[in-house]
Amino acid sequence: MAGQKMDAGLDILDVQIVDKDGRMSGVVDDLDFSWDEETGAPYVSSILSGPEALGTRLGGRIGLWMASVHARLHDREDPGPAKISIGVVKKISNHVEITVSREDLDISRSPDWARDTIISKIPGADRAVE
Amino acid sequence: MKKLIEITLGILTAIGGFVDIGDLVANAESGARFKMALAWVVVVGVIGICLFAEMAGRVAAVSQRPVFSLVRERLGAKVALANLGASFFINFLTLAAEIAGVALALELASSVNYLLWIPLVAFAVWLVIWRVRFSTMEKVFGLLGLCLLVFAVALWRFGPDWGALLSNAAHPTVPSGEGHPTYFYFAIALFGAAMTPYEVFFFSSGAIEEKWTKKDLVVERMNVYIGFPLGGLLSLALMALCSVILAPRGITVSTLSQATLPTVVVMGKLGLAVLLVGIFAATFGAALETGFSAGYTVAQYLGWQWGKFVRPKEAPRFHLVVLVSIIMGAFLVLTTIDPIKVTEYSIVLAAAALPLTYFPILVVANDPSYMGEHVNGRVTNALASIYLGILLIVSVATIPLMILTKAGS
Amino acid sequence: MRLSDLLHSEVYDQDGVSVGHVHDVRLVRDGPVIGSFGATFSIDGLIVGKGSFGSRLGFDRAAMKGPWVLKALFNRLHASSRFVPWDFVAAVEERKILISRAAKELHEPKALDLNGREEA
Repeated sequence: MAGQKMDAGLDILDVQIVDKDGRMSGVVDDLDFSWDEETGAPYVSSILSGPEALGTRLGGRIGLWMASVHARLHDREDPGPAKISIGVVKKISNHVEITVSREDLDISRSPDWARDTIISKIPGADRAVE
Repeated sequence: MKKLIEITLGILTAIGGFVDIGDLVANAESGARFKMALAWVVVVGVIGICLFAEMAGRVAAVSQRPVFSLVRERLGAKVALANLGASFFINFLTLAAEIAGVALALELASSVNYLLWIPLVAFAVWLVIWRVRFSTMEKVFGLLGLCLLVFAVALWRFGPDWGALLSNAAHPTVPSGEGHPTYFYFAIALFGAAMTPYEVFFFSSGAIEEKWTKKDLVVERMNVYIGFPLGGLLSLALMALCSVILAPRGITVSTLSQATLPTVVVMGKLGLAVLLVGIFAATFGAALETGFSAGYTVAQYLGWQWGKFVRPKEAPRFHLVVLVSIIMGAFLVLTTIDPIKVTEYSIVLAAAALPLTYFPILVVANDPSYMGEHVNGRVTNALASIYLGILLIVSVATIPLMILTKAGS
Repeated sequence: MRLSDLLHSEVYDQDGVSVGHVHDVRLVRDGPVIGSFGATFSIDGLIVGKGSFGSRLGFDRAAMKGPWVLKALFNRLHASSRFVPWDFVAAVEERKILISRAAKELHEPKALDLNGREEA
């Protein structure tokens, strides 16, 4: 494992994230780097996912709109992007697999409006068809 | 028999793609106006969709990645967003038109105005997506759609001069009174209909809904190589039927009921009854395909949970996108906008956006980090490279031709 | 700093000559240990080139063979690509990266195999 190399844009950016139960939990919208205090080299500290990260990356009017949606969903003034620590990543392949449940992620910190207001009110929302 | 049932995903995808409301009219119209001079386009289209649907299905089975995830991974967030915008818009127009198409089939059967059927049809489409098992849905609408084989039966009963039909198809000439730009505009419309991108969105996501893996690659190929040629065969049968019955009488086609005319002439009331069941199933199938695709594309771009293999509560945003698309689609066609015009435009616009969807499929199907030993072979790659060239030419030529011919009128 | 701050930035050498834009960031797994992931990835260097499709497609993966038309096309497009070891980076500014060497000291990036090793 040590010394293994990969190209961030090709191999991890825009890849689907899957939680410990195999549920889809967003896309790698960006990576966040921290600086090693001894060597001064930047290292990957977390994965950014969600409208703030994607909006910032896209830029322009659509990007701004996405970021504003993100801000409106939160109580705090400047919530910052949703982060997933690289420490909970299990494997990076065709998917990024993580060792926690998606409910415990930053991207789930605001209530799920689509689920709570609409979908869960429709009869049958809680039943799988198979 | 069990193996035969397993190919219903391919059949539903192809029938919904090839003989939906817009294609029924476009195929009938091209037969009535150009006889078999455009038959070669259907053949080219069938080979193209077989190539790329097979790749998309194989990638889904091997790496569990559906098409719009590949689009995002390979084209990056920005270009993929542009593709999402275009694909979602075209898909939405088609969804709206198919809802109206089901309603038109019901109008032909019941003489109750189609506008009154629209809310009911929209509700039924949503209910099937919400409650019916994916595999049940495939079987019911895929197999009922086979009623459209009545086109082939009618053609055979009519007993045309097969040699003349074949030679007309093999030596295409533009009939006097029709210009070359109009001919090529129709060619693009037929090609776009054959390769319309919602087929691969639906087929590859359906492969994951059906939990296909590497072990199912034989079934995957059977689905493609039986389903899409069957769809193409139905298109050709309708085209031929109109070329031998309508073209000599100078009747052109612009409505669904006119497209049913030749079958009624040959097969009578019983033929019409079977045909209406087929049209109902094909348009309903296409409405399901586009309804699902609305949710699949958005959810896959943003990484949301999607699919019928989880409880709706687990995939709330996916289901919300589907629900809102169906409601908006129903409202669009309730404005009495001509649904056939809507699909004709959407097919041609789709042709302009095709490379953005098919290019990433080709790239990933060659990438061993996704596919391992199941990467494309040489023959597939050679053919796919040629098709990529065709797709690029078509996408550049589409909009100018549309303006030049005033959309084929 | 985010990955997107580096991607697409223009890179200038010590004489202020443009080397191209950042097409990708090569990572190497030798960073500090974080959680159960273990040693994280740190930046190995930048893959810089002229002219780009917007994102990389994988044709410069060693194991990716076809289709030959596309492979040939992208090999040609990427023939002028250069690898900038992170040690050479002097400053990261807004959409602009300055390096402390001359452009002609840079070499082509090495292709990675499927196990994440550079080809000799």
